Amino acid sequence: MSAVRQLWMQLWRRMPTLVVLANLLWLGALGMAVYSLRGEHDLIYISASLIGFGSWFWHLGQGQTLRGLCRPESFLLPYFRRRLLWLGALDVTQWVLLPALLAMALGVPHVTLIASCLVLVAAIGLATGGNRLASLMIWPFFVLAGWMPQLASQILRTAVDSLLTAPLLLLIAALILRLTLRPMLRIDDQEPDVSPLESTSLGRMNTRTSDGSPARRTALGKRIAALFDQTSQRAMDRALARYRHHPTALQRMVLVRRLLLPHDNPEGIALRLALVATFVTIYFFAITHRQHFNAVSVGAYAILLTMTRFPQLGMGMLRMRPNLADLYLTLAPQTRAEYQKTLADALLVLVPISVLTALAYTALGAVLVHAIAPERMLLTAVIVAAASSLVALGIHLIGPEGTFGRGVVNIVLIFGSMGVYWGGYWLLGAIGYAFGSGLLAVITLSFGIGVWLAAQHEYQRRPPCFDAPLG
Amino acid sequence: MSTSALAPAVMSDSMRDTANTQPVLRVQALEKSFAKRSVLCGIDWVVPTGRVIGLLGRNGAGKTTLLRCLLGLSPIDSGHIELFGAPMIEPGGERMHRIGFVPQTFDLFPWMKVRAYLDFTAAFYTQWNHSLVARLLGDWQLDPKQKIGELSQGQRQKLAIVRAIAPEPDLLVLDEPVASLDPQARRAFMVELLELMRAPGKTVIFSTHITADLERADADIALLRDGRIQFTRPLAELRERIRRVVFTRAEGWTQTPAAAGLLKATLAGNEAQLLVEDPIIENLHALATQQGASLRIETPTLEDLFVELA
Repeated sequence: MSAVRQLWMQLWRRMPTLVVLANLLWLGALGMAVYSLRGEHDLIYISASLIGFGSWFWHLGQGQTLRGLCRPESFLLPYFRRRLLWLGALDVTQWVLLPALLAMALGVPHVTLIASCLVLVAAIGLATGGNRLASLMIWPFFVLAGWMPQLASQILRTAVDSLLTAPLLLLIAALILRLTLRPMLRIDDQEPDVSPLESTSLGRMNTRTSDGSPARRTALGKRIAALFDQTSQRAMDRALARYRHHPTALQRMVLVRRLLLPHDNPEGIALRLALVATFVTIYFFAITHRQHFNAVSVGAYAILLTMTRFPQLGMGMLRMRPNLADLYLTLAPQTRAEYQKTLADALLVLVPISVLTALAYTALGAVLVHAIAPERMLLTAVIVAAASSLVALGIHLIGPEGTFGRGVVNIVLIFGSMGVYWGGYWLLGAIGYAFGSGLLAVITLSFGIGVWLAAQHEYQRRPPCFDAPLG
Repeated sequence: MSTSALAPAVMSDSMRDTANTQPVLRVQALEKSFAKRSVLCGIDWVVPTGRVIGLLGRNGAGKTTLLRCLLGLSPIDSGHIELFGAPMIEPGGERMHRIGFVPQTFDLFPWMKVRAYLDFTAAFYTQWNHSLVARLLGDWQLDPKQKIGELSQGQRQKLAIVRAIAPEPDLLVLDEPVASLDPQARRAFMVELLELMRAPGKTVIFSTHITADLERADADIALLRDGRIQFTRPLAELRERIRRVVFTRAEGWTQTPAAAGLLKATLAGNEAQLLVEDPIIENLHALATQQGASLRIETPTLEDLFVELA
């Protein structure tokens, strides 16, 4: 049992806050259930919700922890799979059996259904933390429920009284668990790494998990990655040919960009935009029948999508540091500041790319929601994206190295940009496009350029660092 | 010139006695490719119990792939692997207690502290030499309170070695275990390895480019080339049977002198350097006289052999 205890402790060691929160919810739920004996029967429903949330949090963490633990080498540990099974049994005991037994003791109706729901919640949590693709497969059910809410509530009412519901929920949970756990428990060859500064995933999620293990790619993901790699190779070939023909400083800069940001070439950008547009359109048409989106929210979401690029950049720059020594020697700069300036200038291309991205996403959003004032959305998006990108780039060049600090910076940047978009959109409506956009541009761009110049100055002042990040 | 003369001896005569016992590992027709690039092309290999096997091969020869395939850490395309007498389809079962593995790069669980990682691992094993772990952590200056992510590559390698030998495994598989170690640590590691090998029935397979370590361990040498194990032979036997024969003459060489047992020939300037197996000295003298050349016979070092044959 010592091994199972060690496995169980992993979540406590990695995510103590989440564990405390989940267990407080568990205790609170059980406490409320007992308290409901005094006649306050409504507390049972709150108790069920609390245990559901607690279970979801807990299993989300377990999914992430397992994703980090299930590396090929781990399977050399004696009976590793069997011990994982024991861990699962412990989990079921805490999050399903005990609450279900308590509910039974308290005489709560539909105990079997409650237990099945708890199993399903646990499976969804595990999928959300452990396998993003499996978790995506859950969303169609919510989308369908939102599409036809009356039918959904009718099905729900019938399902509560049906004896088949509990086994059906268990079957769905088993399917989700299979989809989640199977890739984790399978031993595959490791995928080659992409540039730490790049990611082909649509949400600009990390190419590595938080523990540093390479993210597992699906067959579709591999194909998309291969397409991006082909564009990178072609772009690099073109840049090399141009540099050989005209070995100017500008062509040299383009070469450095192709090296640092291989997927940010015209073809790669077009491919990324096309992929995002496809997925957003599918998603939109799936839910459009139930909701009418506020155009400003869609615009702010486009800004969010654009800005999610920068956290990857910040983390990638840290991971790239040891490899950048090679670039330093290749470039052979006169001074260290010159090298730092080369890097900063090379990365500056992300600003127009971000503006273009924001423009494309906003335009798509405006078309999809039939926005009344698309030009207002686009104008705001261009100004805000330009300013926000400058700020984000500057801050990620010199910003904090720690996970917590970076996390705070990312949240402030992303939500700050969305807030500015909202404010800017209102401003354009309030005082007119010409004055509004002018004022917005003066305020935001002067701030953005100021931050960028200060950050660039600071970055050039600092000596280059080639040490691998700790931890 | 190929090493085919050596190839049939998947196990040499002198190894047969040891191999009469159940071999620890038996590989048949193992094939593995990455994205249509064939890396292992029908490997047949038998590793007897109780030996240190040094797996040699040039960069990209497939040593890491082979070792990972043997342990089930990399899926194979075809072939058959038997470990401790049972098919190795995937890692699992009682025999995992008997296997230790040091990967080429140790980048597992950077968030864990050294002590927590060792405790975590120890919990899975029925046998764990706590005193050995404590001693090695002290001797190798590994701070149990430090996070793995904060360790240098060499320190991580040390930790991986500690973790691998702590369960006192019957089969220890090491993938370039000393590549990141300083000479002191390398020597200390070899001492531990030889100590481990004193117990009966212990087998070690390790890939390395540091041939001096193989000589120190008196290892059997397995050469991986062109996706196949070209031969597996005790080092002493290689030393005894293979000679470098150098013919020298002023006018140089346009053709390789035809010597029996020739494994490889290099013509450079006025020298013809031949690697010959089981040379008959009288015949070589006669050949030298016939070619109008002087003759020098040398015993090649393992590194020389590796350079010539790999």
